[in-house]
Parts: sequence; C-alpha cells; structure tokens
Amino acid sequence: MEPDDLDPVWRALANPLRRRMLDYLKEGPMTTSELTERFPDHTRFAVMQHLKVLEEGNLVVPRRSGRKRFNHLNAVPIQQISDRWISRYQRDWAEALVDLKEKLESEQPPKDHARETS
Amino acid sequence: MTEPTPQPDRVVQIDINAPITQVWDEITKTGRIQRAVYNTVLDGELRPGGRLRYYSPNRKRVFVVGEVKEIEPPHRFVHTYVMTLNPDPPTLVTWELEERDGACRVTLIHSGWTDAHKTADKTAAGWEEILGLLKAQVETGQIPLKTRVMYGVMGLFSFALPKTTTVDYADRQGW
Repeated sequence: MEPDDLDPVWRALANPLRRRMLDYLKEGPMTTSELTERFPDHTRFAVMQHLKVLEEGNLVVPRRSGRKRFNHLNAVPIQQISDRWISRYQRDWAEALVDLKEKLESEQPPKDHARETS
Repeated sequence: MTEPTPQPDRVVQIDINAPITQVWDEITKTGRIQRAVYNTVLDGELRPGGRLRYYSPNRKRVFVVGEVKEIEPPHRFVHTYVMTLNPDPPTLVTWELEERDGACRVTLIHSGWTDAHKTADKTAAGWEEILGLLKAQVETGQIPLKTRVMYGVMGLFSFALPKTTTVDYADRQGW
C-alpha cells in the first residue's frame, strides 16, 4: 500500500482518548493544562504525547495567544476524509443539477435579476 | 455599557503540495476569480493601509471588505474583515504560509471575536472549506463539482442578497 497524506490523521483518530480530546477542543481552544484537568487518570506527560500525535495528524494546531499556548481543533483533515469518500456519491446529483440549470436557462428568456448571475 | 467579552481565535491549517509562491499568488491574486474563496474577485491596494474588497464575479456585489495591515510575500497577509451580509465590527484575518518539507503549510487565523459578533460560527466553518478548496485548486487546478454547482446556485440567487452587499452601499459606508 502506498503511504497517504491522510495516514497520520487515521493514526491520530485511532485512539479513544485522543478522540475525546478532540471532543473537548471542539468546544473551544484549551491550554495543555486545561486539557490535562479533563483527564484526571492521565499524567500531563501522557496528554502531551497524545497531543503530539494529534498535531502530527494536523488535527490540533498549537498557537500562542498572549502568554498562553492554546491547542486549537483543526477540522480540515476530517473534511478531507469526508470529501475523499463522499464526493463520488455527490457526483450524480451534482451532475443532475448542472443539467437542470442548463436546461432551464436555455428554455427561459433571462429575467432582469437573472442577468446578475455571472 | 459593558465591554464585549473576547472570544477565542479560530485557527485552521492545511498542507498544500506546491511551492509556497504558487499558494501566495493564488491567495493574493487580484482582479481575477479566486475559486477557493467562494468564487470571489479580490481587488484593492495590497499594501499596509490599503482597502481591499472581495467582489462577486460580475462585480455587482461586495461580500467582504477590509484594510490591509501587513503584507510580507510570500509568508504573511493580514487584513481586517467585515462581512457585508452581516456587518459586525471588524475582525482580523491572518494568512501565514511556511515552507515545510517541500510543501506549503497554510495557517489561517481569524481573530478579534467578541460575544457581540453574530457571524462567528458561520465564518469559522467557511474557512475549513476555503482551505480545502485552496488545496484542490493549487494542486489539481480544479475544485470539486459539488462546489461548482454551489457557486452556480449562489449566482442564480444573488438578486435576493441584502442591499448591504451592493457596491453602492459599500461605497457610501466608506468600505
């Protein structure tokens, strides 16, 4: 199998604790200390190791704001996963809509407002 | 009056397999359609203090207005941001580009939010889509069909957009 841009994303998502971390970050960015408090059964070191894997998958972006360093959820890789497998199923209706648009436009004289389209 | 409460920055990031200059040229391209940024045309003076606008393809509507704060090719582009559809107080958009193992890492930071902003959630969702489209556009030269369909539909309904999106209105506001 070829290595893939999304490999680190899958690896990051393959752990329930890391997925729970993403659930917390979905509510808003958190410092590593704030995040550690949510996982009383885990050491700060363990949380940091998991954050590192999430960063490698580009699912978490650390960012300094003032004196604190916040971990931000980055949902872009998840969207890429969705696009990769879902978009082929969207082709059919998308093509049908394009056909419909072209058919309607060729049949109807454009109204005033329709001229505004590009 | 109480001060508005600051809200966290929105941060989104993507790696694009292309030279940094190619990504920079795409996001700072003026006068031509940027397909990644909702099919808009960026225009204005891209220098600190210059005004910028993101127009509809036919230039009859303006969707985003702002002032350039910093521009350092090919690494940093910072401008204020007001969405004409829902003119909240200005926020700040920062594009950061860095070279990384032959690819280009793009980080978009949308900051300056307070609880007075109504558009916060919607706009944040938009950046994820925009970065995905930017990657597709730069790497493959095209964007997905479903997005092209969406642009077609958006164009058809542009007559229904509020008056605040007209060029006239933007001119009168000094945007």
